[in-house]
Amino acid sequence: MNRFAALDKTPQARGLRLTQTHVLLVIVAGLAFVPLVVTDSFTLHSIIMILFFAYMATSWNLVCGYVGQLSLGHAMFNGVGGYVSVLMFTQLGLSPWLGMLFGGLLAMVLAVLIGLPTFRLKGPYFTLTMIAFAEIVRIWVENTNDFAGIPLKGAEGLIVPNRGDDFWAFQFSGKVPYYYIILTFLALALAATAWMERSKLGFCLKAIRGDRDAAEALGVNPTRYTSIAFALSAFMTAIGGSFYAQFFRYINPERSMGLELSIDMAVMAIIGGQGTVLGPLLGAAILTPIAELARGAFGGGLLGLHLVVYGFALMACVLYFPKGAIDPLRKIFRKIAGGGAK
Amino acid sequence: MDAFILSYAVVNGLLQGAIYGGVALGLSLIFGVLRVVNFAHGSFLMLSLYISFWCWSLFGMDPYLSALITVPVMFALGYMVQSVVIAPLIRRESAMVVEPLSALLLTAGVFLVMDNMALMAFGPDVRALQGAYYIPTIFIGGIPISGQRLIGALAAFVVALGISYWLRHSDMGRAIRATAQNRDAASMSGINVPAVYAVTFGIGCSILGLFGALISPFLPISPSIGLAFGIKSFVVVVLGGLGSISGAIVGGIVIGVFEAVASQFVTATSASIGSLVLFILILVFRPQGIMGRA
Amino acid sequence: MLSGNLGRALQRVLLAGAAMAALGSVAQAADAVKVGCVLPLSGGSAAVGNQTRVGAEIAARLINEAGGIKSLDGAPLEVLFADSQSKPDVGVTETERVISRENVSVLCGAFNSAVTFPATEVAERMKTPWVVVGSVKDEITERDFKYVFRINNKATYDAREQIDAIDLLKEETGEAPKTIAMLYEGSDWGRSHAANVKKIAAERGYEIVLDEAAPPNQTDFGNQLLKIRAARPDAVIVALYTPDHLLFTRQMMEQRLDLPFGVHSVGGGMEDPSFYKALPAEAVSYAFVQEDWQIDKLKVTDDPVIQAANDASVEALGYGLSAYSAQGFSAMYVIADALERAGSADREKLREALVATDLQEGPALITGYQRIKFDEQGQNTFAHGVISQNLDGERKTIWPKANRASDTAPVWPVPAWSER
Repeated sequence: MNRFAALDKTPQARGLRLTQTHVLLVIVAGLAFVPLVVTDSFTLHSIIMILFFAYMATSWNLVCGYVGQLSLGHAMFNGVGGYVSVLMFTQLGLSPWLGMLFGGLLAMVLAVLIGLPTFRLKGPYFTLTMIAFAEIVRIWVENTNDFAGIPLKGAEGLIVPNRGDDFWAFQFSGKVPYYYIILTFLALALAATAWMERSKLGFCLKAIRGDRDAAEALGVNPTRYTSIAFALSAFMTAIGGSFYAQFFRYINPERSMGLELSIDMAVMAIIGGQGTVLGPLLGAAILTPIAELARGAFGGGLLGLHLVVYGFALMACVLYFPKGAIDPLRKIFRKIAGGGAK
Repeated sequence: MDAFILSYAVVNGLLQGAIYGGVALGLSLIFGVLRVVNFAHGSFLMLSLYISFWCWSLFGMDPYLSALITVPVMFALGYMVQSVVIAPLIRRESAMVVEPLSALLLTAGVFLVMDNMALMAFGPDVRALQGAYYIPTIFIGGIPISGQRLIGALAAFVVALGISYWLRHSDMGRAIRATAQNRDAASMSGINVPAVYAVTFGIGCSILGLFGALISPFLPISPSIGLAFGIKSFVVVVLGGLGSISGAIVGGIVIGVFEAVASQFVTATSASIGSLVLFILILVFRPQGIMGRA
Repeated sequence: MLSGNLGRALQRVLLAGAAMAALGSVAQAADAVKVGCVLPLSGGSAAVGNQTRVGAEIAARLINEAGGIKSLDGAPLEVLFADSQSKPDVGVTETERVISRENVSVLCGAFNSAVTFPATEVAERMKTPWVVVGSVKDEITERDFKYVFRINNKATYDAREQIDAIDLLKEETGEAPKTIAMLYEGSDWGRSHAANVKKIAAERGYEIVLDEAAPPNQTDFGNQLLKIRAARPDAVIVALYTPDHLLFTRQMMEQRLDLPFGVHSVGGGMEDPSFYKALPAEAVSYAFVQEDWQIDKLKVTDDPVIQAANDASVEALGYGLSAYSAQGFSAMYVIADALERAGSADREKLREALVATDLQEGPALITGYQRIKFDEQGQNTFAHGVISQNLDGERKTIWPKANRASDTAPVWPVPAWSER
């Protein structure tokens, strides 16, 4: 699974990359029409959750999928984003639209501080360190009611006071505005990934992933490029955390910073296809409904069934589809595109 | 803090730390040989605790006697997981640089499946053995020492010594060490590498089977018990040195005593933050651990 | 093991099918009233969620067997359970589902305050009444909501009652602890309880000598027990969930740690029936437990409905009613009462009926309350927990005095381990 982002410079691939941009545009445009068709609030809510997880998995993928480091600590950035924007809103009256940028910046700083000493760690060592960092942040927040005058409220979590329909407060009574907001975020994240793939940053990351020492010998500074990508990924994850906080108007450390959210993000990206633009979106689109179906169908009669399915899907992907579920789709696509070219 | 409280804390830490070490032995052994970080480590312990519990509650079997069942069952399960789930990955990647991340993901999948299957099968209720009160608590100078915990702690030392001896002096042990050093060379000199891997994984899990039987008398059992021990085992093994048998015991004792003494000064939550910080520092500055070789 | 559980699940399905078939003949005239119940059926609090579910199921069955909602031509209750997995976002999503998809008339749940808090907001926005079960976070009924009703205690009540009970024993015997230690699990419930206890204890003149949070799912309480030993408190107030509470209690017995005025648990582990199955009676003797229902209710009541409920619980779970199943049970009877008076399954009419609720008898009071009546915030101001002491291998109510049986004599102070 180290190589599935390998550079592919065949002519078809170049053609495909064009097609991929088209696919992206078609998907986003198609999604933009969904609220016109779907008026049922629950269905819309479910689709918002799918898009939210797709956005989170895409943010995760930005660094982890391309550098090949498995972070199981990204929930920490999600939590930082949520906490900063909510606290700035409740304490300073700052609009969450601005607050989330501050949350994102703080997450970036945190990411660089954590990343500098840990990027050198290989494979499982990096993963274990990230789990440890995220757990430290979570345990600390859970046990801190008040930090330097800031009411973190510990494990109780933070409540966003209700302001009714107010754009600047990032609060809406209907679901449609939230839908378009998360769709915009997702589109931006996908565009950022697509852009990065073709940018110098992307090439350097791929080189680092392939062979870190060789990349260094060629003058690529691995720490610098991984830090940039890691910071970018942390920033985007934190923005997602702010969205979560505004959408549910409640956050607590257990959910927003817990290991489970980190696993969810990683598993969705990996099953969909890490190191690809559309993989994480596909992963979220497959796995989120599985969880909901399992809940709805058995109503808790078979506890934890959806997680068993996640587990099997993860194992099957690692063993048989190391490039993720997107890979077979891409092959079919390539065939069609290739056939068309001839 | 007076001397009594301090020595009391140290005794607590030693007992608990040795048990942590014993539980972590399998994780270290498997990593040392296969280079696989077994994310499902705690899940195997959870399962052997359940087996021990059911032996007691269905057949009235003494929990210590249930080791006769848990050890072979866990060996078989470990052997099977290795040969069915992990072996295909190792075969696929044998030609290239081994990528331990895929293995971590694979065992993370095993963890999700095992923990949630247990939830589906056994339900979320907490269970605990009640029969095992025949081992009294001994008081030494006013310090209570739980007989059951003492047995668990002693067993950790015995198992660690036994495994080291066996690795050094048996044919299979030598084959395992050879494979750990160089898989390809071992394979060329006629060692059946897949079999060695499966046996190693089996042994790693059977140690958990033994400790499941040893700690089931005093530990409440629930489907999520594995994760608590699993994460602790990672910390212990990294501290002692991934792959080192003696390191697992040393790491366990360091963590046990550290937490016991630290939690007399600060809350247990701060102590657990402390041990995670220790874990990160070790990984960053001495990734080979206390006992590991550079 | 697996087959046992699956078998039970199958049995449940078959039974439900049979029950529906039986109902079919009675209730063809009226449509069933749909009640949504959001509970943590998997995840950290799954054991509690399942007990609550069984309680609600039993109540719905008994109500339906007794002829359903009479003002609705005998319409039966149909309870739809949804799994929150103890997570806020999943709870909200499920709430959306049962309101808009299943079209329920009323909701109940969700045990975890972290789920109930945002989920009730959805219910308020979608104008669907919600009867809170099990969540104690104060703010849930402090938001001027019109559709949220809570039968059980607020968190502050729980803490006050524990100190009240100590005060009552002091009044009766003239003896009381001077110093108190607190040991609690370091998440939402434990921490907020500890904060409340601290405030009230200080007001009543008790000194808190140890304030110790413990991370959940410990494998050893030796360190905390040592800290308690070093602090030498007269009594300890404990807020731990089942696994930790079990371990703490067992190790405390093994270590023979003496506390002259005993252990005061605010429930959690100590109201879970599996807790008592896992420990010898010696380990829990003389401990005080604050619970959201009266554990010896069966002895002091002759209500056949409650007896039948207890039998059904033994059949479904292997043990009698617990605080959790009793709360689920009570919620269904409160809803049925409101439906009866509303004469309609319409959400608005049902809300008006719930506002007017004033129950002073009947199975809804199974939890040991004298009355259920909601204030303008939807809080039942007559809610109270019941505190019992473990005496002779069972829990006997000692507080409030009105609920105490005439032959119950609290043991206060508690004897040392060496004298037991």
